[in-house]
Amino acid sequence: MKELIAYIAKALVDKPEEVQVTEIEGEQTSVIELKVAKEDLGKVIGKQGRTARAMRTILSAASTKINKRSVLEIIE
Amino acid sequence: MQEFEFEGKTTEEAIEKACAELQVSRDDIEVEVLEPGSAGIFGIVGTRKAKIKVILKKEEVEEEIYPEEEDGLSIAKKALEEILALIPMEGKVEGYTEDGKIMLNVEGDKSGLLIGRKGRTLDALQFIVNKIVNKSLGKKVQVVVDVENYRQRRRDSLIQTALRLGDKAKRIGKPVATNPLNARDRRIIHLALKDDPDLDTRSRGEGLLKKVIIIPKKK
Repeated sequence: MKELIAYIAKALVDKPEEVQVTEIEGEQTSVIELKVAKEDLGKVIGKQGRTARAMRTILSAASTKINKRSVLEIIE
Repeated sequence: MQEFEFEGKTTEEAIEKACAELQVSRDDIEVEVLEPGSAGIFGIVGTRKAKIKVILKKEEVEEEIYPEEEDGLSIAKKALEEILALIPMEGKVEGYTEDGKIMLNVEGDKSGLLIGRKGRTLDALQFIVNKIVNKSLGKKVQVVVDVENYRQRRRDSLIQTALRLGDKAKRIGKPVATNPLNARDRRIIHLALKDDPDLDTRSRGEGLLKKVIIIPKKK
């Protein structure tokens, strides 16, 4: 899950080297925290949050496959 | 751009050394002479080695063969394959270009996981791949992502629905509404009934999902 978000985030930002993804695994739900450079924040959120929403949708599809739930949090 | 520096007794020797070490032919590199080298007097005093800078030419030839669309296509294909591999999801991605659009179709998702409810996952994948391609190309190119020809099937069923609702509207003489649809689906409905002289179509609602109202024209 972590790698999936990291790949997408890195492909979208101007400073891929500053992308940090951490995964906090729970029994059923994992929280994935995405951190990017300040100026790249808009790139991973998108207009009206469209990019963030798309990443969450893909993440939930991937989680469904392993019968889990994942939440994506974008850290400021 | 990769750059290297080489030395030799003469510039020629340095170039030969560069080609051997980098395993490229002379045509693949650009050579800049930093110091020409000197044999010195009687080959003893003041000998200086020749120093060159070698720049590896990117495979420009290949880029010339493929137009920009092909480039976008390979970027799009690679991005989608990468995402699928990380989900992880086995699937074969086929791609081609059509009217300047990049079309990608994934075969092998029997579960419909990549499609999601009403194509939501598919739309998300398409949105992300579009972003990635536009970013790496530095310009807007439209990418359409499909799974098992879902979009075509969806389109066919929407056209059927449009025609059925159109008939109903004419029969009862009152406006009929569709389910809330996204912009692309609404467009399919509008276009399906565009040529019917007895019907008018309008979108109604707020936000991303709106209903299409099919109105019978009064004679």
